[in-house]
Amino acid sequence: MTAYVVQRMLLMLVTLFAIITLTFFLMHAVPGGPFTSEKILQPEIQAALNAKYHLDDPLWLQYLTYLKGVLSFDLGPSFKYAGMSVNQIIAEGLPVTMKTGALALICVVALGVPLGIVAALNRNRWPDTLVMVIATIGVAVPSYVIATVALYVFALRLGWVPTFGLDDWRGYFLPVFALSGFWISFIARLARSSLLETLQQDYMMTARAKGLRRGTVLFKHGLRNSLIPVVTVLGPVVANLLTGSFVIEQIFALPGIGRHFVLSITNRDYTAIMGITIFYAAVLMVMIFIVDMLYLVLDPRIKYRADAK
Amino acid sequence: MSAPLLSVTNLSTSFFTSRGEVQAVRGVSFELRAGEILGIVGESGSGKSITCMSIMGLLRSSGRVIDGTALFEGRDLITLDEDELSALRGNDISMIFQDPMTSLNPTLTVGEQVIETILRHRKVSRAEARARAIELFELVRIPSAAKRLRSYPHEFSGGMRQRVMIAIALACDPKLLIADEPTTALDVTIQRQILALLKELQGRLGMAVILITHDLGVIAETADRVLVMYGGMVMEEGPVRELFARPSHPYTRGLLASIPDLRDDTHHRLTPIPGSPPDMLRPPKGCPFAPRCPHAMAQCNAALPPLYDAGEGHRARCWLHHPEAPRVAGITAELVTA
Repeated sequence: MTAYVVQRMLLMLVTLFAIITLTFFLMHAVPGGPFTSEKILQPEIQAALNAKYHLDDPLWLQYLTYLKGVLSFDLGPSFKYAGMSVNQIIAEGLPVTMKTGALALICVVALGVPLGIVAALNRNRWPDTLVMVIATIGVAVPSYVIATVALYVFALRLGWVPTFGLDDWRGYFLPVFALSGFWISFIARLARSSLLETLQQDYMMTARAKGLRRGTVLFKHGLRNSLIPVVTVLGPVVANLLTGSFVIEQIFALPGIGRHFVLSITNRDYTAIMGITIFYAAVLMVMIFIVDMLYLVLDPRIKYRADAK
Repeated sequence: MSAPLLSVTNLSTSFFTSRGEVQAVRGVSFELRAGEILGIVGESGSGKSITCMSIMGLLRSSGRVIDGTALFEGRDLITLDEDELSALRGNDISMIFQDPMTSLNPTLTVGEQVIETILRHRKVSRAEARARAIELFELVRIPSAAKRLRSYPHEFSGGMRQRVMIAIALACDPKLLIADEPTTALDVTIQRQILALLKELQGRLGMAVILITHDLGVIAETADRVLVMYGGMVMEEGPVRELFARPSHPYTRGLLASIPDLRDDTHHRLTPIPGSPPDMLRPPKGCPFAPRCPHAMAQCNAALPPLYDAGEGHRARCWLHHPEAPRVAGITAELVTA
């Protein structure tokens, strides 16, 4: 088991290295650069900027320099925001993104799973239909539509919540709602179908035939087995929510890192692209690792072994 | 004679599907005495499992008992509510299923699955329940019982899992054990072990057993009395010896004729019953076996025959036993007509 964990850690580092390498060269393969814009710069200024950020070095040298930086957890200076390092950009945006993301995650688990259970237990009756109609809308309607409509109704019309920012605690409502809407719906649908499948299993019949109470049958025998697929999906969902959403942060004017994700690309802010990609990849890999470890708790049939070489 | 432990009268169960009402069980009646082994035999869809599921209150949601009673120690199981039924299930009446590979919860230890049953029905501590579980594992001969309690189902073979299922079923000394095809999913050698174990435990603990199977061989070895079911009805019933010696329904005869005889070295083919079972969405008005019966008459399609009494508890649902019916060698010659 320890050997397996060590192996997984090493594999994660290899994957991260591959991601860094691929992103680095792909990014540089795209025409243009951080200082290309409509306004043509004086050749001297251009050369000076290139020299300052080592953009005139051969690509392999830039790559090695960058790798060296990453190894010491230095993601380099931002090309677009003078005087800011990528580490600082992430450090500034992350708390905001994490707070809304964590709240959204709580909503996803606390609402999505119970809604799925209610739907499954009332299969083909009105609570099921109601949950499924809402969940289908939630999955189908894009988050920016939900966000704008919610903003219009609750902030502008009713004035219950502020239109932007997180200075007021009420400011969290709409961004969290818009962020979690899709995933609540997604998890509700998944939990429903998974529980329905579990309810058909022979061992559920055995549990009833043993005279166990309805609640015991459902929660002790049914839920744990049906949550395995839900947990599988939750890993990437956590990574997704904790790294923010460009659209939501834009609409509610939240100073998170989600928008840097997109802006850094259009800006050709090389170091920001790299830094945020590495950050996202790392979070995602850690979440997937945690999910794999959770399987051990949920399903005793799963055992991990390091590959014997 | 003492009152029967279980007395089922005119039990009818239907499933209400989008295609219509599937009449799975149609007016089944039988009695079971304490300590008796009753075999119910029939092919898939004959209603044998549904009969027992109806008694246990374990029908899937589209199924409903539409008529009849099932008196267990004087209480009608059909009218009990879920709380009362669940207090009986696993306690006075327990059940084992066909496929031991899927009947145990894969995410709980087998020990827990035994212990939770004991804790549900008995006022004992967890430690006492555990001690009882070890005792049960020893009873069903699971080696190193105390250690195996902590194992998960996937760490057991099929035969061992069925032993675990039996241990769960016996946890609270049931008066009635329903075994629904308990050996069908097992290897032949394991089948014999499990059957022998069941028979032995039944003798030691004195419980009544309903053994559902499609295997007449299993019935011959294990049961005291047999119910032959077809198309949701009892076609023939009687003591095992009597029924095997004098099968009085063409369907029973067909079943017996289709069993391969290994001692027979003349290589003749098996004798199958031609045709297929009736569609229970639209069950025939007359005898459900008539379309496949070699002796069918006009009367057979016109009306359902009653169960004719042959004495000694042997009864058969066939018009051939009507006093005015033509004599058919091997069926009617021996039977005392009603």
